[in-house]
Amino acid sequence: MTYAASSRRPRSRSVRTVSVLLGLALALGLAACSPSTSTPSGSDSGSQPERTLAVGATLEPASMDPWHNPAASIPQVLLYNVYETLVKVDSGGDIKPLLAQAWEVSPDRLTYTFHLNAGAKFASGAPVDAAAVVANIDRLKADASLTPTLKAQLAVVSGASVIDSHQVEITLLHPSLMWLYDMSSTLGMMLDPSYTGDLSTTSAGSGPYQVKSHIQGDSVVLDDNTNYWGNPARFDEVTFRYFSDPNAMNAAMLSGDLDVISNLQAPDALPQFADTSQYTTITGTTNGEVVLGLNNSSKALSKLEVRQALTMAINRKDLLDTVWAGQGTLIGTMSVPTDPWYEDLSGLYPYDPEKAKAMLKDAGYGNGLTLRLRVPEIPYAVKSAQFVASQLRDIGVKVTTEELDFTRWLDEVFTRGDYDMTIVAHVEARDLGKFADKTYYWHYGDAKYASMYHAADQAVTEDEGVEGMKAAAHYLAEQCAAIWLFALPNLVITKATVTGIPQNATTLSFDLTTITNR
Amino acid sequence: MKRAQLFAGLALVALVVVTAVVSLFWTPFDPIRVVPGQRLLGPGWPHLLGTDGFGIDIASRLMVGARTVLTVGIISVGLAAVVGVPLGMLAGQNGGWVDEVVMRVGDVVYAFPALLLAILLASVFGASTVTAMVAIGVASIPAFARVARAGTLQVMASDFVLAARASGTSRWGIARRHVLPNIAPVVGVQASVGFALAILAEAALSYLGLATPRPTPTWGNMLRDAQQFLFVAPLQALWPGLAIALAVLGFNLLGDGLRDYLDPRLREVP
Repeated sequence: MTYAASSRRPRSRSVRTVSVLLGLALALGLAACSPSTSTPSGSDSGSQPERTLAVGATLEPASMDPWHNPAASIPQVLLYNVYETLVKVDSGGDIKPLLAQAWEVSPDRLTYTFHLNAGAKFASGAPVDAAAVVANIDRLKADASLTPTLKAQLAVVSGASVIDSHQVEITLLHPSLMWLYDMSSTLGMMLDPSYTGDLSTTSAGSGPYQVKSHIQGDSVVLDDNTNYWGNPARFDEVTFRYFSDPNAMNAAMLSGDLDVISNLQAPDALPQFADTSQYTTITGTTNGEVVLGLNNSSKALSKLEVRQALTMAINRKDLLDTVWAGQGTLIGTMSVPTDPWYEDLSGLYPYDPEKAKAMLKDAGYGNGLTLRLRVPEIPYAVKSAQFVASQLRDIGVKVTTEELDFTRWLDEVFTRGDYDMTIVAHVEARDLGKFADKTYYWHYGDAKYASMYHAADQAVTEDEGVEGMKAAAHYLAEQCAAIWLFALPNLVITKATVTGIPQNATTLSFDLTTITNR
Repeated sequence: MKRAQLFAGLALVALVVVTAVVSLFWTPFDPIRVVPGQRLLGPGWPHLLGTDGFGIDIASRLMVGARTVLTVGIISVGLAAVVGVPLGMLAGQNGGWVDEVVMRVGDVVYAFPALLLAILLASVFGASTVTAMVAIGVASIPAFARVARAGTLQVMASDFVLAARASGTSRWGIARRHVLPNIAPVVGVQASVGFALAILAEAALSYLGLATPRPTPTWGNMLRDAQQFLFVAPLQALWPGLAIALAVLGFNLLGDGLRDYLDPRLREVP
């Protein structure tokens, strides 16, 4: 019972015990084999790099299949590490070559020609050629059970065709500002077309790592792809260990079991890692907007006045200070500071509980309003929920809070829309488009917004598109389509020996390719 | 010595009861309202025990938590007694296959951890105070049934029951007039001990998020919230822990003390 908070079932404890024992045995074994690496102070080969890396993370992926499961924890492990994309977003937020060495866009922005890297090959040895890319696009187009997000992103693609063995042409139905960004993420992951194994437990990508094992309730282990076409992997084995309890993760870091905490879930614990001779703390930004989602299909929340009142009832500055120790950025719409169309709209509806109360009364809810706040059991969500419930109570809204296991949350809230309010971080980059989809779990069906967004996405020049997105984001904020609490900070703790982790997390991936452990 | 134990138990239990009753009318601060600027204050004035991560007064939360503890204790022990005692009496009075069936089913329930039942109920109905009460109550039924059965067997073998039977008193009449009053003391002792177990179980379940949901404070979920500040504000975990320990101690001492006074088997020993 020590750190098995909430979602752990008793069964998994035995699994964990076994794995802890295994880990212990491994650690002892390693220590016995190479005593010099554990004491870098020694004069002998102290600069020998470690060949393993243990990364602590929060949400455990339910499967290794990103095409049929929307959980961001899957690309966190797989993107760029196991599956590569034609283009990748670097730590500065710019699109860079990966499988494609270069690409051209036609003047009407409808045709993209990618020149593939001739050396690129899958772990099986098969080449990543034009035929493989076309096979991937066709596979996704034919897949009826693709996640709704991918389906929406793919809708713009008219087709892909082979020009020659290493040139591929992809045509769009209309110009799209977002499309190439989408291709740098889950949508663009290239799967070996000849692979027939079970993708929920194994992998077949072209990246420097491949999925070795997934121990349910504990960890995902990647091992290096010895067949890798690019710079060889720096680690033989990388383990992502999952902790639903942030304290357990901190304790594992303090005891030396982890090399990296991929995102600190207890910012109050930052001082524990203040010793710079042992730990490095990285504070940057992420694409994660913590959204207080409002179910716009519910009667009360479909009214603009009610949504505005709720927005004004929450002091988001105090919320950030209280739940995330002031770490993070206040935002007022579905956009983060690294977006080209970012504008600080956090002051659009300033905290004013009196006015909020009056507006609620005008909207016909003067006698009270009861809302169900159903949140996943993730630290930022649970803590924000308690804060939000308290402040909404001050303006006469009765909030019943329910904390759900993440899998259950995905099913009941995200998939079936059974909720009034919920809190979750949307970690995908440039995800403004989700509000244009009425079937998405917020059920925000504002036709004006949808047309603004699509017009901006389809703009003929990029500048025009960015301006359009800015206007769309502003409209979204005015309409209080949701309440944007804050943008999650990128709080990474590493051992002092670990280097190469970028300050800002610009993609879904926990990119291992830049990391070294001296 | 025995008396001192009883009084110590009574005093601790009274403290919990009085705190819970007072919390119905008054707490020093609002036990659920978040106060942004006041988080993680140490013990002092006006926050005697300090504040938690949301700036809420810990003493106020403890007071309200006492209410949950008593509610869960009373209902779950009540449930267990109301179901368990008649079953035990039935088994004891009838003997034979009735006895076998009741007691073996009891053994099965006894082997079934309350935690499993709580997880089951929480996943079907959503975690709440009620699911915790039912889980703890159902899990405590066999203990009451066993105590009642043992007491019943003893009473049934006595001469006055033999006389009552000879004079044609119905089974129901014997149960009501002879068995129940005679086993009441042992059931009372069991209730007090069961209460202590229920407090522990409630704290464990709400620590695991399987009982009363936030924001309603319970000692268990206060402990859970305090865990994240263990290195920053360790005292935060001490207070609910102390409350649980004292309440459990109180009910255990009370139970032991009551047994010494009420249990007829111990009464004859000087």
